[in-house]
Amino acid sequence: MADEFMKGFACLMVGGLGWMTIKGWYNTPSFEGAQLTGALTIEEPTTFDQIALFMGEAFFWFAVLGALTFWVVLPLVSEFQAYLNERSA
Amino acid sequence: MSDNDTDDVRTDGSGTGIVSPDDETPAWSERKERTQGLSRLTYEYFERARREDQDLRQQSDYVERDVLAFPAWPHEMMRNIALTSFFVGMILFVSATLPPEMPNPANSGVTPAIILPDWYLYWSFGLLKLGPLNPELSILGGSKLMADRTYGVLANVVVVGFVAIVPFLNKGSARRPVEQPFWAAVGMSGVIFSLTIAALSIKNLAPIAPHLLFDLTFLVPIVSATITYAVLKTMREGYMFDLNRRYYRLRPPK
Repeated sequence: MADEFMKGFACLMVGGLGWMTIKGWYNTPSFEGAQLTGALTIEEPTTFDQIALFMGEAFFWFAVLGALTFWVVLPLVSEFQAYLNERSA
Repeated sequence: MSDNDTDDVRTDGSGTGIVSPDDETPAWSERKERTQGLSRLTYEYFERARREDQDLRQQSDYVERDVLAFPAWPHEMMRNIALTSFFVGMILFVSATLPPEMPNPANSGVTPAIILPDWYLYWSFGLLKLGPLNPELSILGGSKLMADRTYGVLANVVVVGFVAIVPFLNKGSARRPVEQPFWAAVGMSGVIFSLTIAALSIKNLAPIAPHLLFDLTFLVPIVSATITYAVLKTMREGYMFDLNRRYYRLRPPK
């Protein structure tokens, strides 16, 4: 169980750090004002910018889905399997 | 493994002193050996480290002591180096990828519109804004006993004094919130109050009506204490059941 927690936490941290970095580059217009959620700071994204923006989204969903998977889905599945085993035993 | 890893129970006080209650209960070593993955690897690493230490001690003329720990080098130190590397790497990464903006230096000739302390002192700053709680006494002809600013400083004294006497209160044996729901609720309300009073200190900036914010500052801690108490009180039965079940699994009734 502790391992599952650590895996979910690692997903959350890695994804969150990557998301924060890319949002800090592209969605933080100024030091004062909207942080990480502001409007896009560039007009015409180059290929590298598009890759970075895609990576930002990927990091975000990696954090959310990773934590959900290891903290909610997999424990539920194992609980359900234990329940089924208990019923059949 | 070796000759000192047999199953005999040693009664001279040299072993761990842990004896299985019957033949069906697995020993701790058996439980550990059944695990897998990272915990298995950790177990093997420490088991090997322990064995190497044991061999070294038996070879040397070092007087053996009863120390239930691993030596600082390399075991503790490797862990500390790993943790330190992680945090140093985090600092390097963040400062390299997100360098802070360097704005113009502050103009010492102009007073800023909003004066605030650092964020970790907001709670104390908020306690200075409790003027509406300063009672107007009718025996004084509707005037206040002390100025609002004196009242705010006194509020700081009261709160800091209460936090200072917390270590001397309630020296019970409870180690988990679920064992003492009332005190856990008191602590929870304190934590929430430190947040709401901090929010009150920046009421000029908070997107909420100041009067409502003032009321919520004192209502939210009470509500959270009630919720905490109810939840912990509800959890307690299941917690005691779990404790009892573990106890009887360890020592089944004959």
